[in-house]
Amino acid sequence: MSSAATIEKDVQRLPEEQGKKLFGTAATIAALGLAGSAAAFFVDKQRFAHSWLVGFYFLTTIGLGALFFVLIQHLTRAGWSVAPRRHMEWVSGVLPFCALLFVPVAALAHDLYHHWMSAEAMKDPILKGKSGYLNVPFFYGRSVLYFVIWAGIAFWFAKQSADQDAAKKGDTRAFTGRMQGAAAPAILLFALSLTFAAFDWIMSLDPHWFSTIFGVYIFAGSVTSSLAVLAIININLQKQGLLKRVSTIEHRHDIGKLLFGFIVFWAYIGFSQFFLIWYANIPEETIFFKRRLVGEWQYVSYGLLLGHFVLPFLMLLSRHTKRSVTVLRAAAVIMLVMHYIDIYWLVMPSLDVNGAHFTWVDLVCLLGPVGVGMVVVAKRMQSSNLYPINDPRLPEAVKLQNL
Amino acid sequence: MSVVVRDETAIELQKDEIGRAPLILGDKQTFSTVTDTVAGMTEKKPPKAWPLLLGLAFSVLMILGASLTRLVGWGTGTWGLNHPVGWAWDITGFVFWIGIGHAGTLISAILFLFRQKWRTSINRAAEAMTIFAVMAAGVYPAFHVGRVWLLYWVFPVPNQMQVWPNFKSPLLWDVFAVSTYMTVSILFWYVGLVPDLATLRDRATTKTKQMVLGIFALGWRGSHRHWLNYEKAYLILAGLSTPLVLSVHTIVSFDFAVSVIPGWHTTIFPPYFVAGAVFSGFAMVMTLMIIVRKVYNLQHIVTIRHLENMNKIMLATGSMVGYAYAMEFFIAWYSGNPYEKFTFINRAFGPYSWAYWTMVSCNVISPQFFWFKKIRTSIPIMFVLTIFINIGMWFERFVIIVTSLHRDFVPSSWGYFRPTIIDISTFVGTFGLFFFMFLLFIRFLPAIAIGEVKGVMPAADPHAHDDHGPEGDGHDAHGSDDKHDKHDDGDAEAAHG
Repeated sequence: MSSAATIEKDVQRLPEEQGKKLFGTAATIAALGLAGSAAAFFVDKQRFAHSWLVGFYFLTTIGLGALFFVLIQHLTRAGWSVAPRRHMEWVSGVLPFCALLFVPVAALAHDLYHHWMSAEAMKDPILKGKSGYLNVPFFYGRSVLYFVIWAGIAFWFAKQSADQDAAKKGDTRAFTGRMQGAAAPAILLFALSLTFAAFDWIMSLDPHWFSTIFGVYIFAGSVTSSLAVLAIININLQKQGLLKRVSTIEHRHDIGKLLFGFIVFWAYIGFSQFFLIWYANIPEETIFFKRRLVGEWQYVSYGLLLGHFVLPFLMLLSRHTKRSVTVLRAAAVIMLVMHYIDIYWLVMPSLDVNGAHFTWVDLVCLLGPVGVGMVVVAKRMQSSNLYPINDPRLPEAVKLQNL
Repeated sequence: MSVVVRDETAIELQKDEIGRAPLILGDKQTFSTVTDTVAGMTEKKPPKAWPLLLGLAFSVLMILGASLTRLVGWGTGTWGLNHPVGWAWDITGFVFWIGIGHAGTLISAILFLFRQKWRTSINRAAEAMTIFAVMAAGVYPAFHVGRVWLLYWVFPVPNQMQVWPNFKSPLLWDVFAVSTYMTVSILFWYVGLVPDLATLRDRATTKTKQMVLGIFALGWRGSHRHWLNYEKAYLILAGLSTPLVLSVHTIVSFDFAVSVIPGWHTTIFPPYFVAGAVFSGFAMVMTLMIIVRKVYNLQHIVTIRHLENMNKIMLATGSMVGYAYAMEFFIAWYSGNPYEKFTFINRAFGPYSWAYWTMVSCNVISPQFFWFKKIRTSIPIMFVLTIFINIGMWFERFVIIVTSLHRDFVPSSWGYFRPTIIDISTFVGTFGLFFFMFLLFIRFLPAIAIGEVKGVMPAADPHAHDDHGPEGDGHDAHGSDDKHDKHDDGDAEAAHG
C-alpha cells in the first residue's frame, strides 16, 4: 500500500489558523458590506434595490456555474477533476444562502419590476398579454422553485461527496455511481431553472424586451466566473503548499483551458445576441442595445468587449500563461471584475437611464453578497476535506499530465 | 500516440463498474491484429455486399447527375420554388448535409481536446463522412446559381465590370465559412491518414500500390521525429478545427436569423443550429458505423461502449435542440408580437403541422429513449432511432424554412409549397454521392485510425508489464482498479495532450 501513503502526502484538512484567517477576512467583508447595504437601503431605496440585485445575482451566478461544474464532471465521468470538483462543491454551497440574499429583491420587487408590476402596466396591451407569466404571485412562486432546485441539487451532491469521504473502502464506488446517475436529470432541471430565473430577474427589468438566447448568455457568464473562482482557489491552496498531488499545475492548466474556452463561448453567445439584433434592426429588440450604446453606457459596453473577451483571450491563449500562477490569477481576477460589470451592465441601465455612474451604494451591495459567499466557502473549507479522499478516480486525477 | 512496439501483448480485460469499459475488446488483440483487421479491409476481397451497394450508390448518383442536367438545361424553375416559398428543398438539403458534417469535426477536434480516447475508433470514418457531407451540401449552392459555369462569381474576383458579391450578405460569408471548413477538414483528415497510409504502403503487394501509397504517405518512416511533428500538427489542426465546428453552422444560421422574418429571426439560432448539427451528424455516423462494424466484423474495435457514448451525445444534443424549440415557442408567446405568435401556432397547427410533429417526435422524443441503458446498448433499437433522428433533422430545416415563408405578412399571397420530382430526385441523388464516396473510402483507405487505436491499447502503456502503476502511486489503493487504470489513462494519451 505504498501508493496510498504517497497520496496521503497531501494535507486533507485546512490548517486551523489558515481557516480562521480566511474566515476572519470573509466575515469582515460581509459585516462591512451588509452594514453598508443596510445604510444604503435607508439612504436610497431605489438604488439599493438595483445594486443589491447586481450583487446578489453576481454571487448566485458564480454558485450556479460551480454547480454546473460539479454536475458536468459527474455526467462525463471525468477523471482529472476530482479535487477541483470538491472546491466547486464548496462554491455551489452558496446557493442556499442566495435564497436569503434574495429576500431584499423579493421585498423591493415593486421598485425593480415596476414596469410590469405596477397597476398602470395593465393598460399596456402587450404587458397585459404577458400577465399570464409576468404576474406577482407566479413570479414569487417561481423564485422559490428555483432556489429549491438549486439548493437541493447543491446540497445533495455535496452531502454525497462528504459521505463518500467518510465511507468504508468497499462502499465508496457506490457514491460515485449514484452521483453520476443523478447528474443527468439534475442538469436538465439546472438548465431550465437558470434560464427562467434569468428571464424573471434580469430580462423582465425591461418587460417589453426579449431574446431567446438570454438564458444561454447568463449561463456562459456563470460558468466563466465560477471557473475564475476555481482558478483562484487552486492557486491559493497550491501557494499554501496544501495540495501537491491532486490539484497541481496540471489541474490548473486544465482549469485555464476551460476558462479560456468559456471566455470564448461567452463572447460567441454575446456576439450572436448583439449581431442578430443589430442586423435585423427591429425597434422592440434594438432598444436593449440602443440604451447601452449611447452616453456613458457605451464605454461600459466597449469595456465589456475588451475586458471580458479580448484581453483575457490574449492573456490565456498560450500554454505558458495558463500554467503561470501570476497570469492565470490576474486573468481570473479580471474575469470576476468583468462578470460583475456584465451583470451591472444588464441591470443598471434600467435605473441609470441617462448614463452610468458607480456609487458607494453599488460597492457595498457587492461587498455584502460577496462577503456572505466567502464566509460560506470558508466554513465549508474548514469543515470538509480539501479533496474527496475516497473518490475512486483519485489515482487517475493524480496521474494527470498535459504533455 | 505511442510507437512503442510491444506486439503480441495479450490485452487484459478489466471492466470497471463505475463506467470505464475497455476501448478495444478481445483477449487476443494486439497491435498486429489491429493492423491486420483494418488494413485487411482494403487488402482482402471486399464483402459481397460491397459491389452491390457501390452499384446502387452509383445509380443514385446518376439520378443526381440527371437532375442537375435538367436543372442546368431548364433553370432553377424546375424546382418547385415559387412565390411565396422561394427557398425550400434546396436550402433544406444544403443545411441538412452541412449539419451532418459537424459530427466528424466534433469527434476529431473537440473530443481530442477533451482527451476522449474512445474517439479513436470512429474518428477516421466520421471525418471522411464530414468531407463527403460537405461535398453533397456544396451541390446545392453551386447549382442554385443556375449558370453553374459562372460559379466562381461567388468569390470576390476583381473584374472590370466592378461587380462584387454583397459583403453584407451571410450567403457570401457561407462561401468563406464552408470553403474554410472543407479545406481544414481535408487537411486534418489527411494528416491523420499519413501514418496509416505508410502502414498500407509497407504491406502493399504490388509495385503500383506501393508507389501510389508511397506518394501519399509523404515518406513517412515512423521515426521519433516524425511522430513528434505529427503530434504537434495534429494538435494545432484540432485547435483550428474547434472554432470551425461552431462557426460554420453559426453562419448557416445567420442565413435565416439576420432577416426580419418571424420564425427565422431569433437570437438563439447560432448555438441551436450548432447543437442540431452535431445531433444530426452523430445520427449519421451511427447509422454508418453500425453497418460497417457488422459487415467488416469490427465489433471489437467499434465496441458497444463507443455506440453507447455516441447515443449519450445524441441524448445531450437532442435535449439542447428541444431546449431551443421550447425557448423559441415561449419567447414567441412572451414577445407579445402577433406575427411571431402566429408563425409558431401556424407551424404547430397550420397546414404544415404534419411536418412539425414529425420533427418534434423524431428530434425531441426519440432521443429521450436513450435515457435507458437497455436501449442505449441495443443495436437494432439504436439503429432505428438514428434513422428517425436523420429524418427529424431534415424536417427541422424544412419546418424552419418553409413554414416561415408560406404564410407571410400578406394573407392574399399565402401558398403551400409542393416539391417537384426534380426537387426530390436532386435530394435523393445527393445520398448517392455521399454513399458512393463513403463506399470507396471504406474500400481503399484505412477506415479506422490504426495508429491512434493502438495508442489507446493497454500494450501502448510503457508500464503495461510493471507490477506497479506508472509512478507506483495510487494504484494499489483500489486493488482491482489497477489493471484498468493502466490501460485507460495516462501515458498513451498524454502524448496527444
